[in-house]
Amino acid sequence: MTLVAAIPTLETERLILRAPQPKDVPPFAAFYASDAAGFVGGPLDAAQTWRYLAEVIGHWTMRGYGRWIVTLKDEDEAIGLVGLHYPLDWPEPEVGWFMWSGNGKGYASEAGRAARDHAYRTLGWSTLVSMIAPANGASIRVAEAMGARREDDYTHPRFGTLTVYRHPAPEALA
Amino acid sequence: MTSIPTLETDRLTLRAPQAEDFPLYRDFYADAEGSGNYGGPLRPDEAFRRLAADIGHWHLRGFGKWIIVFRQTGTAVGGCGLWHPMGWPRHELTWWLLRAFRGQGIATEASRAVILFAHRTLGWDRVETHMRDTNQPARRLAERLGGTVTDRVTFPDGVTRDVFLLPEGAA
Repeated sequence: MTLVAAIPTLETERLILRAPQPKDVPPFAAFYASDAAGFVGGPLDAAQTWRYLAEVIGHWTMRGYGRWIVTLKDEDEAIGLVGLHYPLDWPEPEVGWFMWSGNGKGYASEAGRAARDHAYRTLGWSTLVSMIAPANGASIRVAEAMGARREDDYTHPRFGTLTVYRHPAPEALA
Repeated sequence: MTSIPTLETDRLTLRAPQAEDFPLYRDFYADAEGSGNYGGPLRPDEAFRRLAADIGHWHLRGFGKWIIVFRQTGTAVGGCGLWHPMGWPRHELTWWLLRAFRGQGIATEASRAVILFAHRTLGWDRVETHMRDTNQPARRLAERLGGTVTDRVTFPDGVTRDVFLLPEGAA
């Protein structure tokens, strides 16, 4: 027997970051069906979204880290996907976030900090970027709120120009 | 948290897909002819995501595809398992092999173990597969497993396929 993926649960002041589950598919698919998903590879139909969530889970097995479903502490309903992401066509691992509910309350940066802490403290990483579509102003504001500084853009072979934000090193956050 | 069991046959071990299987996926999907019936060819980054999705399928469904490994040498040669992504109307028994390892009865041997697992461990009363009319290797394998055509169905991709029922304890 082999565990599919060992995904830890993280807790912040207001949020839980936990393993994706089948029940997360409907809210995740609703987000990916909307224009709001345009910055993160959408829109996708329900079947494509299901497959994408399967990829998110498998990434944990492939890399030993990955992205969590974010929920509020008192309500186990998926409101976002946040975590560490390193597909084969990425220049280095990134911390990424997208929230489809509760925007404007600082949830993305709160969950992003928890994921970044996991990378630095649990995984022992020394640096971390976020790569963001240039027009995604909300996501750029989250990166800035987390203290990340803009670097030279990265040109992805298919997605084109991505704005790169480099997060403060672990010692700068200590 | 879902666990993936290991199955054993005379010659083969069917085990959980893992990160170390990426070269197998990359090489299989780089072969346009060999992967043509499986959505290939794929770039390496797409093959990486395909492997991740195959792993995640286990977590979302409780069943999925195994890696086929030769027991004696440990060589990974392909995959076999039960596949039912959301949005697809029916499950299917599926298999794929690097071209160099076809024609040795490997898919048949692995499929029998998976059919047995579906009945005895998952408690399914029906295991089936389906394929495009042009996919003769898959059709021959379904017939070798004692399969009989029970339906002809137009799938969401617009392709009409025969659906084979695969008996438990296939000859």
